[in-house]
Amino acid sequence: MGAAPATRDVTSYGMGLAAPLALFFLVFFVAPLLQLLWLSLHNDTAALHWGLGQYLHFLTDPFSLSVLGSTLLLGAEVTAVCLVLGFPIAWLYQRVGPKLQTIIILIVLLPLLTSVVVRTFAWIVILGRQGIINATLQSLGIIDTPLKLLYTQFGVVIALAQVQMPLMTLPLITALGRIDPNLDDASCSLGAGSWRTFFRVVLPLSLPGVIAGCTLTYAAAITAFITQSLIGGGQMLFMPMYLYQQASTLQNWPFASAISIIFLLAVLAVVSVFTTLGRLSRGYGGT
Amino acid sequence: MIMNRRSLMTTALTLGAMKAFPGLSYAQARPLVFATFTGSWEEAHKAVLVPAFRKANADAAMVLDPMLSVDQIAKVNAAKANPPIDVMLHDPGPALVAIGQDLVEPYPVEKSAYYKDLIAEAQEPMGPAPFFQVVGLTYNPEAVKTPPTSWADLWKPEFKGRVGITNLNSTLGTGWLVEIAKMRGGSEANVDPGFKAIEELKPNLAAVAANPGALATLFQQGQIDISPGNFNAIQILKARGVPVEFVAPKEGAIAFKTTIHIVKNSPNRELAFKLIEASLTPEVQTTLMNPPYLIVPTNSKVTMGGEIARVLAKDTAELKQKFVFQDWKKINEQRSAWIERFNREIKI
Repeated sequence: MGAAPATRDVTSYGMGLAAPLALFFLVFFVAPLLQLLWLSLHNDTAALHWGLGQYLHFLTDPFSLSVLGSTLLLGAEVTAVCLVLGFPIAWLYQRVGPKLQTIIILIVLLPLLTSVVVRTFAWIVILGRQGIINATLQSLGIIDTPLKLLYTQFGVVIALAQVQMPLMTLPLITALGRIDPNLDDASCSLGAGSWRTFFRVVLPLSLPGVIAGCTLTYAAAITAFITQSLIGGGQMLFMPMYLYQQASTLQNWPFASAISIIFLLAVLAVVSVFTTLGRLSRGYGGT
Repeated sequence: MIMNRRSLMTTALTLGAMKAFPGLSYAQARPLVFATFTGSWEEAHKAVLVPAFRKANADAAMVLDPMLSVDQIAKVNAAKANPPIDVMLHDPGPALVAIGQDLVEPYPVEKSAYYKDLIAEAQEPMGPAPFFQVVGLTYNPEAVKTPPTSWADLWKPEFKGRVGITNLNSTLGTGWLVEIAKMRGGSEANVDPGFKAIEELKPNLAAVAANPGALATLFQQGQIDISPGNFNAIQILKARGVPVEFVAPKEGAIAFKTTIHIVKNSPNRELAFKLIEASLTPEVQTTLMNPPYLIVPTNSKVTMGGEIARVLAKDTAELKQKFVFQDWKKINEQRSAWIERFNREIKI
């Protein structure tokens, strides 16, 4: 006991400092989540009868499953678009002078500085019947009647990709910045072409950034209630809207809770796939 | 008593917690809380109803806490014994839910000076209707040269790809479905003909908006030229210069009662009653009927004027004739099944 000050564990300070946040999470996140779980395990809206009825209802109903499927697919499409469009920007960022770098960062961050609602409304103006795209195509004589862009899956994917793009680009910029530029030169001097260098050296080493970006974009895209409902409209049903409908309009809270839990588990499953890929890639990048 | 740092902190935290969560300490007197709707409703009530109430009641303290009907119900439900709201405002669907869950008190009709002057449809013993919301046809007069006259006009081939509707989440969407079902031989209990009618409307549908607000903005974008629409939502657009007009179809405009209720176990029961009385007076209803509010009055002593007299009704007799009221008790019984069916069947 007398020697305690000398052997005092320095990590205990860290734990103590984390306590306020941990308490905050416990009270305002874990507790409501448990309440949600509790509510979802009831068969009636008054939450008097215990049972798995809500989960059975969801998992045996082809319509509900198709809503879940289309939501997860939407996330995959948005993530793919963001990755394909975001990677070149991040790559470019590492190869230009500091002035251009500032401009690129500004362009990447700009969407984050305006609210999602404003960005989404801008897309309504762009994609509408008399919107920028249709007006341009019509004045060029390429199309006669306006294309239907708003209230389509295509419209939702494009709008979400723009809205969530910073979440993909920023981790990519960080990951690419960590790669030693000498590796490129080494690869070239050993006889690899630029494509081969990209696929065998740059891409594998940037995988942690790719995984982080994909996880963030995916999670943000599938839960983006505002953009999904404003661009997708009232007949394109994704999980957030389905949940809102059950909870708010129909006051069916147990079913809404069950939808939330199932959605949460589905997202966790996808995220854990990403994380596993990340762990594998670390081994790949190291060898 | 020794004051050390620890006990000082504990005291400070306790006091802070009592300040942050007043319910912890003891039930205390609080001002009257009126949960109105957000947006133009809040503006109208802040500018007209609240001053009228305070003038009549010696400047009694009151708070407007705007929120959606469903949130009002959830909040009162969570604290039935000591509700955080004294007066609730509801559309017909949620009103029945609130009454069904035993959250509201019967209105003291015999004490009321104005209740008997309300038109019959507005006299609801569980909470009178101080206003009507009206749904009719809305259209863009620049694109639609001959004003529509009937719900059936939405199916005209000339409106191919120009019609907008909302899904059934809203009172507007559900009420409209019931109305077109009635037009084709259905009723509040049988909306099959309505679903068939929407099926036939598909070639004309340009958009199924997620809510009435989103629907109204589609006029602004030229995405749609004609749709079922809320009279008051259209006035807001018109005031901003969007080319859009409202017309009551010959089958009758759908009228929703917006009812106002005293919350059960309210600590401010008397003031709540006084606020509702204020909302029923001809003076308040007349002011709210005039621009910029254009809220349809329910007190038969109010003389109709302005835009409301022009497009809706010149007096109470005409109003009764031109408005259709729906049986929301019946609608609520099957509404969730309809929403489910709409989700599955209506894909454009």
